[in-house]
Amino acid sequence: MKKLLVGFMIAAMAMTLLVGCGSAGDSSQPSTNNGAEGKTDEEKVLNIFTWATYFPDDILKSFTEETGIAINYSNFSTNEEMLSKLETVQGGEYDIVLASDYIVKMAIDKGLVKKLDKAQIPNYDNLDPSYLGNYFDPDNEYTVPYGVGTPLIVYDPSRVDVEIKGYADLWNPALKDSLVLVNDARNILGITLKTMGKSLNEEDSAVLEEAKSKLMELKDNVRVLDYDTPYNKLLEGEATVGYMFTSQAATCLTVNPDLKVVYPEEGLGFGIDAIFTPSNAPHEKNAHAFLNYILQGEVAADIYPQILYLCPNKAAYEFLPEEYTSNSAINIPEENRKDVEFIQVISNEASDLYNSIWTEFVQAVG
Amino acid sequence: MEKRRRHDGSFFLAMLPLYVTTLVFVLLPVLYVVALSFMKRDATWGVTSEFTLENYIRLWDPIYLKVLLDSLKIAVKTTLLALAIGYPFAYCMAKLPPRKRGIVMVLVIVPFWTNALVRIYGWMILLRANGVVNTLLLEIGIVDVPLKLLYTDGAVLLGMVYSLLPFMILPSYTSIEKMDWSLVEAARDLGAGKMRAFLTVTLRLTLPGILSGCVLVFVPSMGLFFISDLLGGGKEVLMGNLIQNQILTARNWPFGAALSVVMMLMTLLFLFVYRKSTKQSQPEGMA
Amino acid sequence: MKGKKHTQRRWGSGIYLGVILALMYIPIVLVIVYSFNKQKISAVWGGFSLDWYRVLFHDQQMMGALWNSLKLGISSCLISGVIGTLGAVGMTKGRFRTAGAIESIATLPIMIPEIILGIAFLTFFSFVGIPYGMPAMIIGHCTFCIPYIFINVRTRLLGIDPSIEEAARDLGAGGGRVFWDITLPLIAPGILSGMLLAFAMSLDDVIISFFLAGPTSTTLPVRVYSQLKTAVTPEINALCTLTMGVTFCIVIVSQILGSNKFKRNRREEL
Repeated sequence: MKKLLVGFMIAAMAMTLLVGCGSAGDSSQPSTNNGAEGKTDEEKVLNIFTWATYFPDDILKSFTEETGIAINYSNFSTNEEMLSKLETVQGGEYDIVLASDYIVKMAIDKGLVKKLDKAQIPNYDNLDPSYLGNYFDPDNEYTVPYGVGTPLIVYDPSRVDVEIKGYADLWNPALKDSLVLVNDARNILGITLKTMGKSLNEEDSAVLEEAKSKLMELKDNVRVLDYDTPYNKLLEGEATVGYMFTSQAATCLTVNPDLKVVYPEEGLGFGIDAIFTPSNAPHEKNAHAFLNYILQGEVAADIYPQILYLCPNKAAYEFLPEEYTSNSAINIPEENRKDVEFIQVISNEASDLYNSIWTEFVQAVG
Repeated sequence: MEKRRRHDGSFFLAMLPLYVTTLVFVLLPVLYVVALSFMKRDATWGVTSEFTLENYIRLWDPIYLKVLLDSLKIAVKTTLLALAIGYPFAYCMAKLPPRKRGIVMVLVIVPFWTNALVRIYGWMILLRANGVVNTLLLEIGIVDVPLKLLYTDGAVLLGMVYSLLPFMILPSYTSIEKMDWSLVEAARDLGAGKMRAFLTVTLRLTLPGILSGCVLVFVPSMGLFFISDLLGGGKEVLMGNLIQNQILTARNWPFGAALSVVMMLMTLLFLFVYRKSTKQSQPEGMA
Repeated sequence: MKGKKHTQRRWGSGIYLGVILALMYIPIVLVIVYSFNKQKISAVWGGFSLDWYRVLFHDQQMMGALWNSLKLGISSCLISGVIGTLGAVGMTKGRFRTAGAIESIATLPIMIPEIILGIAFLTFFSFVGIPYGMPAMIIGHCTFCIPYIFINVRTRLLGIDPSIEEAARDLGAGGGRVFWDITLPLIAPGILSGMLLAFAMSLDDVIISFFLAGPTSTTLPVRVYSQLKTAVTPEINALCTLTMGVTFCIVIVSQILGSNKFKRNRREEL
């Protein structure tokens, strides 16, 4: 047994060496440097912090080839993780952060975000003005909108007999045990409020109690709650109707074009993932160079068909491939885009109420 | 006397790294969690260092008590099932020739070196409506319509036992393998039946292993959140899910911390019982 | 008569081991099969393809993350192997009043949900001034790796007859000698299984790695979970398949190399 133990240790070390050589051979991973090297020029490094693959790999590669700036891509899986981390490092370490609107707003309010130097980003003008001036950055001083999306209803018309036009139809008793919904208090209580003609950001506890009893009526229709991969449930046939985010709905359609997208008549929710530079970013100049790079029309036209979010770059419109623009989860009609609402941060009391209603609902479903 | 003290000194030296890492890197962060549970949350983000008991008062809400109860239930079920499957496995493993034991041990662990999420996806492929099991059952003609196997309590239990089984097998194996088989034989020679010998000797001698296994399975099973999300279809709220949610989506760190403190206390109670029983289980003749 | 019964029982236990192991490997087999799936989404089978392996080999970030994970897993399981083993030995052999408390505290990290431990670490490390990055991650992982080794070794130690060590000591062996020649070989299986588990736990950890990572130390699980926003691709399956392959190769090779030594070792044991 002692021999086996020693054997295991040797094997482990051998494995380390093996992989070490492999990665040393083909990677140009730069070592950890904090930028304070006493050089006048910035070192050629850029630290990006966002969800994995949200900036496609080929874009990053061609940026490095063109500019010689090596990229360290670190990942988080939720916005809240990102802000906790960014707060502890006091807006340092990272140069480019890409996260959702409400958390960007919190970061700005906390002074963790640096104003952009637009002189260094001439391509900023490529952005479509209809995606600018949002609540989290009304004067467009801090952020570059990147991924734009809206949650939609998707269903399989071959297995659903009822007509679905809006959120209210999800309550139809004919849909018993057949829904997949994103596992999120704000979104699902939000659409319940929408069916009552209220706002996604309702804080009044009496209205929320009313929404709770309405939501409880939905419990028998729910088959699965899934935040991350609801599209799989629809594609596998576990569920026949889904309420999910844009890129997830668009993924459904690329795999199975027979599925149908509904733009709910009660009005759409809306969200923007935006890029910012933290207040103490070590490589500020490289960050601006990066922003300018991805804002080029042709580069953007490469990005969006890969990430399947709406494209806010008007210079890219002419280059976007047809299979992307014809995806009905992406190509949302103009009239539906008019009446959209962001999910914003609400008071602590309201937030706690949302969450306890949600916990009770999930218990009732299970 | 002199000799004894010298040995104590070297034993103390051996324990020193454990003492230091435990006190610095475990106790202090844990104390921080405890402190956090008595704090108020700040507007929208973070906490203020204002003392409050409201996080503990909120625990008595029936919704959260139900979460606690559900988690305990599934943890007990998982532990019993893991014991029922894992102990015989460890027993058979210990009866193998020494070389094969090592191979089986490695075979037990290696699957767990692949990503947990991906492994659970493997089960989902197996269990879903158009999955392997259903296709097979339909082919044979046992069922006419696909069974709803996924997103059920059974699927969650399966995932839990699957993920935690090695934690039962290995400690059990560790103590069975070291057991003095001559004592079993002695019991048999003295006329004890097979069952009796197993119950009075084998089980008693390997109790430390069984109990370690139970600790290692029981406690994590309350904290595993992604299994009920993936295999249970997100329709079950367990302690792990609730804490995850409080921290990440509700941004209520103090309440999340209070929930964690409750879990820690339950764990410590469990460990206390465990230590008491391992002390008793040391047979007089051997210790 | 007795012999026949004996072989029957051996067969029975062999079948039982086989069935349970098969159940453990079924999901893994599916992971392997789906690494050859042409379709990006695992819900649908789109035909055989080696594309994901090609993608994998060109994915520097994935390779970098894998490398970070291995570095982290191996260093923390070796370090905690030493700390946990020494601690278990010291605690079992010596008699210290604080031992019980330390044992309970040391086991806490595997009991606390990752997320809360992650936040505690995040705050604590910035308070103490330890910079984020690989060393911080190794410390963090050691805290939850140690209990696995500690518990396994202690379980093992509780079953050892102390008279063996005393005999060695009476024959004049020093404390170090007794530990190295007598105690260590006896507890080796406990150390090994504890380290194997600890390594598995380290390889799977998402939250603590995330909170303690610096800009260049993203690990594989952090990357995998983070990828959920844009759909996990079979690239991960391909990676798992390869790591399994490599692991099995190492196991087989070490078995072949060690088989002769084992025979000798066994004779010594007997």
